[in-house]
Amino acid sequence: MRPRSALEPYVLMAPTALLLAVFFFYPLGFAAHQSLYEWDLLTPPRYVGLDNYRELWASGELYRAFTTTFVFSVVVVAGSMLLGLGLALGLDRPGSFASFVRGAVFSAYVVSWVSVALLWLWLLDADAGAFTRLVRALGGPAIDWLGDPAYALYALAGVTIWKLAGYAMVLFIAGLQEIPKVLHEAAALDGANAIRRFTHVTWPLLRPTAAFVGTTSLIASFQVFDVVRVMTQGGPVQATTVFVYAIYEQVFLDLRVGRASSMVVVFFVLLLALTLLQLWVWQRKRGV
Amino acid sequence: MLSRRALVSGLAAASVTTSCRSDDAPKGRRVASLWFTYGGKNREVLEKLVRRFNTSQNAHFIRAVFQGDYFEGLAKLRTAIAARAAPALSHVVGEVVPYLAEAGVLEPMDRYPGFGELDIIPELGQAKSWIAGDQRPTVALPFNRSTPICYLNGKLFEQAGLKAPTTWNELREVARALTVRDGARAKRYGFCCPVNWWFWVALLQQAGGEVVEPDGRITLGGEAGVRATEFWQTLVNVDRTMKPPPGRDYNAWEATNQDYLAGRAAMIWTSTAFLRYLEDNAEFKVVAAPLPRDARYAVPTGGTHWVLLKSAAPEEKASAWEFLRFMHEPEQVIDWATQTGYMPVTRAAVKRLESSGYYAKHPNDRVAYDQLAVARPWPWSKELFRIQRETVQPRLESAVLSGKNARALLAEARERLQGNR
Repeated sequence: MRPRSALEPYVLMAPTALLLAVFFFYPLGFAAHQSLYEWDLLTPPRYVGLDNYRELWASGELYRAFTTTFVFSVVVVAGSMLLGLGLALGLDRPGSFASFVRGAVFSAYVVSWVSVALLWLWLLDADAGAFTRLVRALGGPAIDWLGDPAYALYALAGVTIWKLAGYAMVLFIAGLQEIPKVLHEAAALDGANAIRRFTHVTWPLLRPTAAFVGTTSLIASFQVFDVVRVMTQGGPVQATTVFVYAIYEQVFLDLRVGRASSMVVVFFVLLLALTLLQLWVWQRKRGV
Repeated sequence: MLSRRALVSGLAAASVTTSCRSDDAPKGRRVASLWFTYGGKNREVLEKLVRRFNTSQNAHFIRAVFQGDYFEGLAKLRTAIAARAAPALSHVVGEVVPYLAEAGVLEPMDRYPGFGELDIIPELGQAKSWIAGDQRPTVALPFNRSTPICYLNGKLFEQAGLKAPTTWNELREVARALTVRDGARAKRYGFCCPVNWWFWVALLQQAGGEVVEPDGRITLGGEAGVRATEFWQTLVNVDRTMKPPPGRDYNAWEATNQDYLAGRAAMIWTSTAFLRYLEDNAEFKVVAAPLPRDARYAVPTGGTHWVLLKSAAPEEKASAWEFLRFMHEPEQVIDWATQTGYMPVTRAAVKRLESSGYYAKHPNDRVAYDQLAVARPWPWSKELFRIQRETVQPRLESAVLSGKNARALLAEARERLQGNR
């Protein structure tokens, strides 16, 4: 379809471009500018060049926030994809029971993050939490899921997986339903068992869906904030101070706008690089 | 392109419109906004007092606007100050008063009419809340002031024939006696206290130290700081009689309250601010006691102070000032203190409570006030809240929850503070 005039594509893009400019590019540029200043919103900003970035690096805060976020994201992306795929394979069938379970699993995704966090805060309570008591009743150890620095991040990752798995499941089911049945029938006639049909038919054709689920889950997990704010406030011992929470602490609690802005810039670059890397890996695999 | 001021103005306007207004002003009144940061019972009491002021006269109207917790409120206040859209009146935690004062955004109140008649208890006002606080222009008036106190589960203490500990050693013994184990797990802890800067400062001061020396050096208590941290480490990791509650900041405080109310902790340290809440909700007798001593008895004060914002219009500040005078009258001071658990902030109010027999009927209310005799002033440092949040708090958690060497962590903290810009 040819545009009626040379301007038409730009006119059609204008609303999105305007929204992106106002809510994305301008704030990002503003943050990049602020990252070169020491500013607390009260006293006049003081130009400090790249000092904020140097301090982030020298204090180890950048490394700590990145590794915490990275570990969290790896666990969440892997967990939600595996669980979502498993649920999709199990529930991609007709019948009211499967339909009910699909709806029940997906319902977690539409509940707000704060509600989910409050629910799990109660379930994971070290003394009275239903989940903790269940683990103990089954002979498991008495773990302070949110109070022990060794477990807190994984506990939050588990909660996030629980919430995102329904989203991954729905996308995987859509992907599964796109695969022509004839391919499975042909493979079955050729003697392929269920595992070989999955590895040679289902999975290769699900890769684009998996790439999409992986990328969006990665971005969502990198942007996690609500569960941290409600459940652990970055603790214990900064074990759950993920990137976005660290930015929040800098600007709202420590009153350092400049340093928070430098974290925003680094965060943006990291997220962009990770997304490009992931897309490149998946496209390369698809090409093979 | 939007200017910075336009941007922050927008943010401030958005924050105000999304906040909760308590009332609309009748015509002909001078209106002043009050931004406050309480929920629950304290909010109800404050709003009741605001309504009382608004109906007690016809010239002024205070519009009370809820702004989230202390730190959310402070963030909004800063944004509004930068946007020149600040309210006339707010209240802020003591740690940030020097920071705001040094930034030049607080209105000195010494020359407002009736200032000299407020009859403030010096330890709770600017005069003695900060070192040499009376030698600076008065920019803060006491509002909800507190000290940490010890809350005992009266029933458990009575059953065990125990008394409130008066020394650190007694605290260890009492905590040990009241801890109940189920294998490796404690079914009930003898002691629970948030691993938080405020309580650590209390320990440090009891061990004989100060966070900042009189000459301005930040020592974090030196040996006393180490001793304070190691005391917590002993209780948590060696005796295993103290529960460090999950969560940080006020979430940990709330978790401590819940453990106490549920009988999972026999004795807690928390703010006097929770006195009424705990008494109203406990199914056992709540007994308040002063904190024990090590080298000496000592406590820091806490809570918030009223501040007038310099950037507000003069007539708004005048209305806000009238409200502050009203709030310092004995009736309001007494209502606020007796309905919340915070301390009465004027001498006249204390006298009236004494003469009316209130303290004889409610001895728990008297504990925090009596502790003022050993209250230590804070240094007037604009960096204090950052020392607290960025440098000390993470290391306290690291020492107590991860068992890292307290001496090394505090040495590292001092080194960082000396090199910090």
